Amino acid sequence: MAPGADKTGLRFLPSGATLHKLSALLTLVLLIGIFAFTSPAFLSVNNGLTVLLQTSVIALLAIGMTMVIITGGIDLSVGSVLALSGVVAGLLIKAGLPVYPAMMAGVIAGGLCGFANGLIITKMRITPFVATLGMMLIARGLALQLTGAAPISRLGDAFGQLGNGALFRVVEMQANGFPKVIFPGIPYPAILLLIMALVGAYLLNKRQVGRHIFSVGSNEEAAHLSGVNVHRTKIWAYTASGALAGLAGMVLMSRLSTVQPNEGVMYELDAIAASVIGGASLMGGVGSISGSMIGAFIIGVLRNGLNMAGTSAFIQQIIIGIVVIVAVYIDQVRNKT
Amino acid sequence: MLDQPHSPAPLVQLVDIHKRFGGVHAVEGVSVDLYPGEVVGVLGHNGAGKSCLMRILSGAMAATDGAIFVNGTRAEVKTPQDAKSLGIETIYQTLALANHLDAPANLFLGRELKTRFGNLDEPRMLAEATEALRQLNPNFKNLRDPVARLSGGQRQVIAIARAIYFQAKVLIMDEPTAALGPSETAMVADLIMRLKAEGIGIFLISHDMGDVFELCDRVMVMNKGSNVGTFRIEDVNKDDILSLIVKGTLPEGWQPRGARV
Ligand SMILES: Nc1ncnc2c1ncn2[C@@H]1O[C@H](COP(=O)(O)OP(=O)(O)OP(=O)(O)O)[C@@H](O)[C@H]1O
Ligand SMILES: [Mg+2]
Repeated sequence: MAPGADKTGLRFLPSGATLHKLSALLTLVLLIGIFAFTSPAFLSVNNGLTVLLQTSVIALLAIGMTMVIITGGIDLSVGSVLALSGVVAGLLIKAGLPVYPAMMAGVIAGGLCGFANGLIITKMRITPFVATLGMMLIARGLALQLTGAAPISRLGDAFGQLGNGALFRVVEMQANGFPKVIFPGIPYPAILLLIMALVGAYLLNKRQVGRHIFSVGSNEEAAHLSGVNVHRTKIWAYTASGALAGLAGMVLMSRLSTVQPNEGVMYELDAIAASVIGGASLMGGVGSISGSMIGAFIIGVLRNGLNMAGTSAFIQQIIIGIVVIVAVYIDQVRNKT
Repeated sequence: MLDQPHSPAPLVQLVDIHKRFGGVHAVEGVSVDLYPGEVVGVLGHNGAGKSCLMRILSGAMAATDGAIFVNGTRAEVKTPQDAKSLGIETIYQTLALANHLDAPANLFLGRELKTRFGNLDEPRMLAEATEALRQLNPNFKNLRDPVARLSGGQRQVIAIARAIYFQAKVLIMDEPTAALGPSETAMVADLIMRLKAEGIGIFLISHDMGDVFELCDRVMVMNKGSNVGTFRIEDVNKDDILSLIVKGTLPEGWQPRGARV
């Protein structure tokens, strides 16, 4: 019999982390309710898909960011790595490589940037903040240098598939020759996000590497003394974050059908905000993929809903900033009691 | 030194270990050995270098100079994994627990049990941890709580359970009972006697003279980083040891007190 079972009843009360997730979920539902009330178009299938699409990029970044944050680190480079990965893929397609191998190479380029972050942090003993700040500048500079700061377009229809296509989309030709979308289908980015989130949560909760990520963030010294390979664990987390940034880059550039070397600026901040709203602690040792996904959607829904309500982009920033602070504050207050 | 030769080969020999931190000489040319089924007390004032010496043997700290022999052969103990694979387990003074993880996760940290598919085998780790912890403390509940929420004594019990679970040959206990109540301390004393009977060698760091005289076969006293004497426990009394700890020398006119065999 499980030893927790003798505390009957108590088991059913959600613990701190679950409580945070529940309150974040409640916030999300509340937001959707408010926006549905204020702008009627908000609750349409099409707008739902738009939110899903817009959020998938931030949410993909947030998966990797969460892992890094749980190790007690931070990855400021993801926005730039996203752009560099797109540039790598775009240039390879222009060089004659088929679309999907080129995209794969883009993801690998992202992974390599993350791997470099990991090496710099562990072997050169540079703090994550500084190391990834450096990588943020390097990757952005590379992306701009390689392209001369000009977008790469005319990459072919196949390049737009990942970002704009959907599973089970039903389109009917109308009598007037125009296609009519009967069922918009499930966008590929949403499917990709779901798969990545599930894989991420599985690795974090069911595999040794996930256990080690938590232990490193909780007490690095203890993890080392227990025989955890701290360096390898950190390098793993940063590499995952870089590769996911590459993947997010593919989704974003594909959606735009062009590679924009100046895309993704400040995305790292949204990803960090999503993780933190979802309960991750920048002190390390705490966080979850599911929480970060809720956090990403809170940001996505806020942006979209405020847009539809005609709120300016400046006000949106102010509101999201307040949400981040309030989320962390509530968490702290609750943890103290 | 009145350090009697023993019949079997030593489990561990530390030879002329030095550890320097910049100008600080934390350990200065200390040599000590440990035989199977023996408890060697490592004593000394605060900051004498006891933890440093032991951390060098656990692979947690690199010696500036010196050699480690395990079962007669020279061993490189560069990482905690090295020490563990040589059968050297350590209960650190700092306990070395990951606060956000629960007791089973801490007990198996770095050596997680896995299912056939390579997933973490949580049920088995929980069952094994329950068993191991109940041996030391029958009232151990809240196993699934993060260890940050446990009491100091419970945390110490987890650290002890972790060190003995993996069948060590050499056990280093750095003030293992500092946070324990009287009954738990008695339990640890029983445990030490049991492990000793199984032929395990134990380095015990303790400031408690009662424990030292009850449990140790020999004592090694450190003063300002140096080994100021290794004695069979029969040959010294409390005052001799206190004099060594405080002044680094034996009282004047000291004679071995035990009956020579
Ligand atoms: N990481 C370190 N960096 C610098 N100096 C250190 C370090 N660790 C220990 N020292 C110094 O080495 C000396 C010995 O420390 P050590 O922890 O071995 O003492 P100790 O005998 O275990 O004392 P206590 O009884 O208080 O546990 C001290 O002077 C301490 O300040
Ligand atoms: Mg000490």
